[in-house]
Amino acid sequence: MTQPKEIDWGLMEATINKHRGETWALIPLLQEIQAVFGYIPPDSIEPISEALHLFPSQVQGVVSFYAGLSLKPKGKYVVRVCRGTACHVKGGQSILRVIKKELGLDEGETSPDYQFTLETVACLGACFLAPTMMVNSTYFGKLSPPKVTSVLNQYGKDKGEDE
Amino acid sequence: MKAITLAINGKNISCPPGTSVLNAALENGIKVPTLCHHPHLEPVGACRLCLVEDEKTGRIMASCVTPVAHNMSIQTDSPVIKTHRANIIRLIMANHPESCIVCSQGNRCELRQIAAELGVGQTDLYPMPHYTGLEEANPFIIRDLSKCILCSKCIRADHELVVVGAIDYNLRGFKSRPATVHEMPLEKSSCTFCGTCVSMCPTGALSIENTRYVGSPQKESSTICGFCGVGCSLVMGSVDGQIVDVNPSHREKTVNLSTLCVRGHFAHDYLNASKRLSEPLIRKDGELSSATWDEALEVVAQGLISIKEKYGPQSVAFLGSSKCTIEENYLFQKIARVILGTNNVDNGSYGSGRAVINLISERLDGGGRITPLAGLEEAEVIFVIGADPTETAPVVGYYLKRASRIKKVPLIVADPRKTGLVPFSSLWLALSPNSDVELINGLAALLLKEKADDSSFIDRFTQGFDPYCDSLSGLDLEKVCRVTGVEMAVMEETADLLKGKKIAFVIGHGILQQKHGTSAMDALVNLALMTGSLGGDNKGFYLIARENNEAGALDMGAVPDFLPGRRPFYNNKDRKYWEKLWDVKLSPDPGLNLIRMIEEAEKGNLKALYIMGENPLLSLPQPERIRNALNDLELLVVQDILTTETTHTAHVVLAGAAFSEKAGTFTNMEGRIQSFEPVVSPPGDARPDWEILDLLSRRMSHADGYASIQKIRAEISRRIPMYSEFGKLGDESWIRETSNLRLFHPYEEGESISFSPVISVDNEAFDKAYPFTAILGSLRCHLGSGTRTSLSDRIKDFGLKGEVEIFSEDGTRLSLKVGDKVRISSPNGSIEREVTLKKDLRSDDARQLMGLTQLGETDSPGWNGCHVKIQKI
Ligand code: SF4
Ligand code: SF4
Ligand code: SF4
Ligand code: FES
Ligand code: FES
Repeated sequence: MTQPKEIDWGLMEATINKHRGETWALIPLLQEIQAVFGYIPPDSIEPISEALHLFPSQVQGVVSFYAGLSLKPKGKYVVRVCRGTACHVKGGQSILRVIKKELGLDEGETSPDYQFTLETVACLGACFLAPTMMVNSTYFGKLSPPKVTSVLNQYGKDKGEDE
Repeated sequence: MKAITLAINGKNISCPPGTSVLNAALENGIKVPTLCHHPHLEPVGACRLCLVEDEKTGRIMASCVTPVAHNMSIQTDSPVIKTHRANIIRLIMANHPESCIVCSQGNRCELRQIAAELGVGQTDLYPMPHYTGLEEANPFIIRDLSKCILCSKCIRADHELVVVGAIDYNLRGFKSRPATVHEMPLEKSSCTFCGTCVSMCPTGALSIENTRYVGSPQKESSTICGFCGVGCSLVMGSVDGQIVDVNPSHREKTVNLSTLCVRGHFAHDYLNASKRLSEPLIRKDGELSSATWDEALEVVAQGLISIKEKYGPQSVAFLGSSKCTIEENYLFQKIARVILGTNNVDNGSYGSGRAVINLISERLDGGGRITPLAGLEEAEVIFVIGADPTETAPVVGYYLKRASRIKKVPLIVADPRKTGLVPFSSLWLALSPNSDVELINGLAALLLKEKADDSSFIDRFTQGFDPYCDSLSGLDLEKVCRVTGVEMAVMEETADLLKGKKIAFVIGHGILQQKHGTSAMDALVNLALMTGSLGGDNKGFYLIARENNEAGALDMGAVPDFLPGRRPFYNNKDRKYWEKLWDVKLSPDPGLNLIRMIEEAEKGNLKALYIMGENPLLSLPQPERIRNALNDLELLVVQDILTTETTHTAHVVLAGAAFSEKAGTFTNMEGRIQSFEPVVSPPGDARPDWEILDLLSRRMSHADGYASIQKIRAEISRRIPMYSEFGKLGDESWIRETSNLRLFHPYEEGESISFSPVISVDNEAFDKAYPFTAILGSLRCHLGSGTRTSLSDRIKDFGLKGEVEIFSEDGTRLSLKVGDKVRISSPNGSIEREVTLKKDLRSDDARQLMGLTQLGETDSPGWNGCHVKIQKI
């Protein structure tokens, strides 16, 4: 797959309609959209705000505030590298450098084939395993440059096969 | 609830629970510096500048978001607090760009003021300004968000006051800034350019695009907006006798709070237009040439008197303006009635629904006119019919949107078009044009069926309910649905929302200018009586007034059929009252209204016309017909502030002064009487209109005249009971209730109000040749015919074309694309416009600007909803 998935606007409408009129439900709705579509398509801001009686600017404000919500499509695998103190002391910087080189991506970037997105995080909360990173919801700890390469290869091998 | 007692700076204070420490301090004259606080906005505690210390606990808190508590002992200025505050300012300054010298906020910048007060000079911090692009593609607002201190006042003003929601914070932390959706420039967002956020901004992050001047004005003076009938209070800044900027007034209890609309904020630059008249002109050898005031006034006085002597008083007429002050309108009609002995006096608001307004005045005997807009936010339910206030009277739109979105008042909108209010409404009744009468009667019938009539109200204040019920119960509801195009289920839902509630009706030009307007108004009065929605606060009729002194001009009797105080001319008692005061015998002949004036001029019966502040060649339909009528006159006097189509045809032109150049008073749509003083002097030799009228009447009648505006005001408040409070309490007062109806009396004396018969209007047969209905719309940027707003440089730059909106399916059928030119014609003429296609219209509706409909033959308004055909050209 070289494109982010075509957005199923019918599904989007159904998702939004579940919360029509529920101004309080903005965050749960956004989380749901993020989970289903992988991101919050910018064109969904208008219908979301209309359904929840909010202003589009307010919805955008909430989306752009939370790191867990994104207006850009992300790769199939989101790699989150820890930049916390413990990981820094244990050489987290060079881990990040290796990953950048391996993936050819900078922080915040997504590969053109939508396979990988690279992000950094303030602390993954697994300091005893420092240096750490996550791929989607899987943790990897006590990293070294060779281990990083093998982890990435593990995901790289999947290329082309869906799910 | 028990009052809370506490001490602030050693002073013992008592205040209601829930008061913030900041407000407790401010109310007791203790100053606390703030940057994000504003009395009209919800507090957020963003800037932390309002820090205070509780001596007892040592706690330091932001006073704007901390409620008072018993036995607090607050210090607002302790050494700790001072250090913290100075540090906050240092941090903000380190984040600020070094553009103060060229910032147009100048010494109005609150950041600079506070830094100076706190003695913060150099910050000694590493400067970390956050440069953002400068945005200035629109002619109104410049955003330089590098100067933003993140106080969020603009965002709160945009959400809480004008309820547009064009901006909110985007992104997080250091990158966070107020932004539009997708970070678009303002002109590509939902921003209405009301400029409310600009006036709120404490720094120069938001500023007014000003082509003429940069910096702070030399002088600021308060006045009232010169455009619509809301009558917003504003302050005008001037430099060397020129108005350079406009902001909402800082007074607390104004109609507009801290808001304005794009016209009030940005279109007053028309006052500096080169088309301003600066001296009187007399036509000599076919050309208008300069004259002295003496010469010009002599020609006018001689002319009027000799025409009256030669052809009789009915050959002279006076067309005044609802843009002129109440003092001027009073003098104007007095000249007509007392000196020339004619009731031929009218004003330009004739076309904005005079017949409908007269009908209410008569049915309610002038009662129920005091309608503070703030009542809308307290209403039980609001019914907006034929009104598009977000365009015509934006501040009314703000009240309605606040009522609905913030106060959760149910809002019903009945309009063929999807107006700007529809997204805020609980229900939208998209009825067919001109079918309002049926809709209202249908709703009344449904409510009656549900036994939702207020019987104690009906018993106490009304008569004729039984026959009304009888005819309502005979109503064919299926036919109502067919005629209005509103489904039964929606009708029932509406009735459910209205049931058992007092209704606040907001009525606009869709009713006022409609051909069945008076019948619709009759039906509305019946509905209001049946539901007990009249007499008292937060209910009744809120009538949108297009011009700022529409109500005042009527109150002063600048109309043929009413004497000052809205007393009907045919009423002998009222006529006697004024005959005695003025010491004249009033002409018994009914006067000519605006339309009849034109007709009589065409017939050659009218010989002289004195126009003050009106431009009938632009504002009335059928300009060619008007031009011919005016050309036939022996004397045409035009008193105006601008060179217009109409001044070009005059024999004498008298240069008047704009509202900002004279003292005067306007009465707004709420019944609020607001006086103002001049901000600058009139250009050149131009003069305040009341002065011109006074000089003229002295020339014609050898009377003493007034010589001062105070004398005119004194006469108005002494002679017109409705204005008895006028001028008593400074610049602002309210009209007084003078109706003889029991409903409007505190002790319930007087007459009862009658229900009027249920009329069903005949929506005339469909004419194949003219299959579309034209609905007159308004654009927020323009007022009325646009004589003044189109001279505003900013509005011109914005480049609105006044397109015609056509239902997209009709558009497809006619193979029209957006931007195509069409000719729209009625049997009376045609105009050419560009097309936009809209999904949210009913089929068969086209919206256009004025210029097509026929002059009403009789008193029928009928300027809205005429039938047209559309051809692509
Ligand atoms: S100008 Fe008015 S509508 Fe536009 S952002 Fe500012 S407050 Fe909102
Ligand atoms: S733009 Fe002005 S009003 Fe808005 S947050 Fe920034 S400083 Fe405050
Ligand atoms: S045009 Fe009307 S709403 Fe706008 S500022 Fe003036 S009075 Fe207020
Ligand atoms: S610092 Fe890396 S997991 Fe906590
Ligand atoms: S005024 Fe209290 S935090 Fe800004």
